[in-house]
Amino acid sequence: MNLPKRHIIVGAIALTLIAAACSSDDDTGSTDTTAAEGDAAESDNTDTATGSNVSGSLFVSGSSTVEPISIAVGNAFADANPDVAITVQGPGTGDGFAQFCAGETDISDASRPIKPAEVETCAENGIDFVELKVAVDGLSVITSAENDSVECLSFVDLYALLGPDALGVNNWSDATEVAAAVADTVTDLGAVHTPYPDADLAVTAPGEESGTFDSFVEIVIEEVGDELGVEDANVRPDYTASPNDNVIIEGVSANPTSLGWVGYAFVEENLDVVKPLQIDGGEGCVAPTPETIATGEFPIARDLYIYVSMPALDANEALAPFVDYYLGTGIGELVGPGDGQVPYVPLSTEDMAEVVAVWEARETGTREG
Amino acid sequence: MALSSPASIGGGTSRAMTAGLTGKSFDVKSKMVEAALVLTLAASMLILLVLIVDLLATSWPLWTDRPGDFLTGSLNSANAQSAGVWQGIKGTLMLCLVVMVVAFPLGVACAVYLEEYSSGSRFAKWTRINVRNLAGVPSIVYGLLGLAIFVNAIGGFTGGRTVFAGGLTLAALVLPIVVITTSEALRAVPRPIREGAFGVGATQWEVVKDHVLPAAAPGILTGTVLSLARAAGEAAPILLVGAATGLLRTGNQSFVEQLTGPFTAMPVVIFSYARQPDDAFREATAAASVVLLALVLLMNALAIWLRNRYDRKW
Amino acid sequence: MHPMIRTSRRRRRSDGAARRVFQLAALFTFVITVLIIGTLAVDAWGFLSKLADTPDGLGSLTAIGWFPRRGLYDIGTLVVGTLIVTGIAMLVAVPLGLGAAIFLSEYARPRLRRYVKPLLEILAGIPSVVLGYFAIAVINPDIVVNLFSNASKAFTLMAAGIGVGILTIPIIASVAEDALRAVPHALREASSGLGAKRSQTTFRVIIPGAISGIVAALILGMSRAIGETMVVAIAAGAVGGGLFQLTPLQPGQTMTGAMAALGFGSDQVAGDNLAFESLYFVGLLLFVMTFLLNYLSDRLVTRFREVY
Repeated sequence: MNLPKRHIIVGAIALTLIAAACSSDDDTGSTDTTAAEGDAAESDNTDTATGSNVSGSLFVSGSSTVEPISIAVGNAFADANPDVAITVQGPGTGDGFAQFCAGETDISDASRPIKPAEVETCAENGIDFVELKVAVDGLSVITSAENDSVECLSFVDLYALLGPDALGVNNWSDATEVAAAVADTVTDLGAVHTPYPDADLAVTAPGEESGTFDSFVEIVIEEVGDELGVEDANVRPDYTASPNDNVIIEGVSANPTSLGWVGYAFVEENLDVVKPLQIDGGEGCVAPTPETIATGEFPIARDLYIYVSMPALDANEALAPFVDYYLGTGIGELVGPGDGQVPYVPLSTEDMAEVVAVWEARETGTREG
Repeated sequence: MALSSPASIGGGTSRAMTAGLTGKSFDVKSKMVEAALVLTLAASMLILLVLIVDLLATSWPLWTDRPGDFLTGSLNSANAQSAGVWQGIKGTLMLCLVVMVVAFPLGVACAVYLEEYSSGSRFAKWTRINVRNLAGVPSIVYGLLGLAIFVNAIGGFTGGRTVFAGGLTLAALVLPIVVITTSEALRAVPRPIREGAFGVGATQWEVVKDHVLPAAAPGILTGTVLSLARAAGEAAPILLVGAATGLLRTGNQSFVEQLTGPFTAMPVVIFSYARQPDDAFREATAAASVVLLALVLLMNALAIWLRNRYDRKW
Repeated sequence: MHPMIRTSRRRRRSDGAARRVFQLAALFTFVITVLIIGTLAVDAWGFLSKLADTPDGLGSLTAIGWFPRRGLYDIGTLVVGTLIVTGIAMLVAVPLGLGAAIFLSEYARPRLRRYVKPLLEILAGIPSVVLGYFAIAVINPDIVVNLFSNASKAFTLMAAGIGVGILTIPIIASVAEDALRAVPHALREASSGLGAKRSQTTFRVIIPGAISGIVAALILGMSRAIGETMVVAIAAGAVGGGLFQLTPLQPGQTMTGAMAALGFGSDQVAGDNLAFESLYFVGLLLFVMTFLLNYLSDRLVTRFREVY
């Protein structure tokens, strides 16, 4: 009536196998994966301290916008240093800083500078940090490639068409009055480009959980809202939101008088179906290009950062080589418009040198907040 | 059920009678109903077939291109070309291990108490109701439990967002299934087995340990394997507990370090790949689904095999 | 002391210890229940009381949509979205699940049954993430968009609903088949003995006889559909917020979809709001809804068992 003994033995062996499978390290994984990336990484050993002798574990969390950069850099670093364990997560900039200031992470990815309240929390827990700019994210306001009636929009236009007062506006021309009213108060964020076409206004854009949504709200809508005295101004809720950038491109191209915004990288690949608009942030209309974005001339661009924890730097031997690698091979080679690169705009040479200097000197604190 | 045709009775009456008796073959309406019912069943089977064929076809280029690379590669939600599932396979096996160590003894012990010690009591009745309710709680709610209790409240013990916390969450999720299937297995053990043992002076514990549990072992084992398969397929609870969706490389970490470090699991890997807008991730998503499906189906097949192999009629 | 007695005392002691261990394990199931209800109730209450202190107060629970990061928590948006998905799921799962159950119980030869049952079990064993992938890769582009040209191309509530429905088929099929098979064989024999055709026996005798069990199967299936998360999280286009809307051909919010969006990454744009806490409030609502349905189903099954 008993289960035969051998079944128990088989069970025990199975358990041992599970344990063995789990404890067997990542050697296989790291040597086999992305041979190309690994080679690139190893060939770059010269400017950074990335021997294959680094070991330890790294935990990076924060902005989902910066996450792809940290993943690409982290993966290449782990390929070059197979003993290193590394985790990259992207719950969002705010969640990232909450973990960072609690001492849970080594590096916090951020798509905006740290806020004073967050600096305070960090200070209370004895976490000082080095703030490093790693790339620039440019947003493009887009319409269908067939749309000839609009070429340039100012922040005031965008507020009138996409801001909180635009709730229920389904025709461009219906936003005219709001635009005029806003322009009365807000004079330094570009002229209005009325008359707007008498045509459908169909808006497709990222959803609220997206970093691209954040950026648009912070750079454009809140900026105008602050001058108007509107607290926490936000984008109108009645638009088609999608978590998938390809869906946004599709939505915008489907309607000839559509409006929307996405990360600049997605526009570059789809110029046949969507048209990026010039933007006037108060200094005239500027078209988005990698150059205008990198120099900050194009007004809807934001800097992306990593924050390195100083206490972690003391405690974790792997951290300094990783940041060296991040600023060297990482943002030097893995960010850009090319194949296999993370599609953000790389820093200019001067900015890059400055960031490296900040890191070499371990200058703590924020320069942006 | 149809009668065989009694051809020996001659004449028209007999033919009519035969038709009446063997009604089935002339009953058009019943045939149509049966055909409709067959169609519904066939539709379900067709869905299953399309699902599996689509997964295989979509992932085929990946399997021909870099099978070993994919199986041993790391979780990487930024680059479809270097995306792999090794961490997911490991994570799922480790989760199953925690689930088995925690849920199996607890579930079996609970079921033994319900069936062998106090089957008629009010306490047992309430426990049964409670267990049935727990079985119906949506899995994402167990995720909230895991986040609030296993990650936050006793984070010092579990290490926070770790395999251990995830495993405890899934153990809570499958515990009712283990209890219910074990109860069924225990109930299937015939009374005389117990009575015989009691008759020679065995204590209740000895009866359970030496007679009832061994007799019910195949059923219990089947239920346990099924509940492990369920745990292996769950994504929502462990996502809430904090399974990694971005990049996970475990370097040269030991088993214990991994048990108390960041983790991921197969279903989470699939979720992470499925939500990438890049079409290149389609293949990786389908391929990861094939791996998980193979894992879960293997477990199910094992359970079915165990059931058929040891199925006893008392 | 006589060795025999000593042994028996030790045996009795270990017998008592075993009993207590087993009882503790049984008690532990209540600990889980208490922890679940406690966690949900305490945190949902925390959310509501903080919400009451905001300028808009509890009025934020009705708004133009579910936008937790803006402080708009229109719970109606989520409930309606969930009902749409559940409704579509039931449209798929009820005919297919019940049909399979009736066929397997009343028509299939034992041999066929033996081959088909494991296949249904395989369908039951498919992880929901895999069906989520299937919903965006096949169901939406090949079925929903083909049938309805105005459907959203990538994500729709309908694709999610069909996906959830597929997951619900085996649950309905297996519970309903159990109910049908529990109807005593004598009723079938009596019915055909009175000259009833097979379909008449099935629909006039067996199904009415098993009706409470069948209803229980449907309710249980509905409860599972309401609580299903991953298919919706992947295929319904669950984003941070959504307007109240009634069409299944557009992306939409459901209770589980909103919970997933909040739980898997919950960054808060508009600063210090209650977005994350709202997760527990929705969780409590989900728990109560599924609990009531499960309880109802359970009662029906119990009553059904008492009849036969």
